[in-house]
Amino acid sequence: MINIVVVSHGNLAAELIKSAEMIAGESQGVYFATLHPGDTPESFEEKIDTTMAKIEGQKTLILIDLFSGTPYNITAKQLLKDNVECITGANLPMLIEAMISREDADLSELAESISQVGINSVKNLKPMLRKR
Amino acid sequence: MVQIKNWGLVRIDDRLIHGQVIAVWFRYKRFDRIVIVDDGIAADPFMVEVLRLAAPPGLEVEAHSLQESIGLLNEINDPQYLMILMKSPFTAKRLYEAGITYNALNIGGIGMGPGRKNVFKNSALSKEEYQVLKDLQQEGVKITFLSVPGEKSKEFEEIRI
Repeated sequence: MINIVVVSHGNLAAELIKSAEMIAGESQGVYFATLHPGDTPESFEEKIDTTMAKIEGQKTLILIDLFSGTPYNITAKQLLKDNVECITGANLPMLIEAMISREDADLSELAESISQVGINSVKNLKPMLRKR
Repeated sequence: MVQIKNWGLVRIDDRLIHGQVIAVWFRYKRFDRIVIVDDGIAADPFMVEVLRLAAPPGLEVEAHSLQESIGLLNEINDPQYLMILMKSPFTAKRLYEAGITYNALNIGGIGMGPGRKNVFKNSALSKEEYQVLKDLQQEGVKITFLSVPGEKSKEFEEIRI
């Protein structure tokens, strides 16, 4: 089983997990780390390190809210470890898909397929529906 | 009398490059180069790569130690599109004392920490950091707390610690 860690500005990560569980069901091995006003990059790094220490050495997919920003700047360092992949632009479809497709998955293939889920999840509906 | 250079922006932000924040600055002011003055980041090529990757296109990002920065910034004659970025007021003062002088200093964000007191929005200062800024102010540097243009700002003389 691949662990999932969601990191974000504010409570987004914790809430995203709750929302995903409404659809994918309660799940094990899903963690979060959140940056709050008043946090320094150092205090946020401690949160990430504490979370990662629980799953030390295990395969882990990290979903980061934004490409850029403190969660990104700090969390990217986790890539220096083996068995860690990071994806930015975390959204609900990505998290749900990661939660349901991570069993027996290859970590780097999962990271690639979840990135595609994110990219394909954005639709501008009006032009699509007008075609009909 | 040494002429004070017209730097694009001299900024303290312990988050360094925060893409969204930089993007808002871009709407108000053109930058093509960010020089991060930080011994730790300069010694960590992976971190420099992480910061560079998320920077907007057309923006050069580099990190140098304080010593290297002094030499490099001294040589620059046309700095209006250059942002000097550092984490701490102590670095700002050391640069100034080493002859990298500036008229204005922007404080974008300094997180809470031991001994620090919140002074404005996302900025906190310790007594020592306050004193260092006070010294710079007495040299004639205008110090403004401002995360991004358009938001509320505060001048250094208005804050209390």
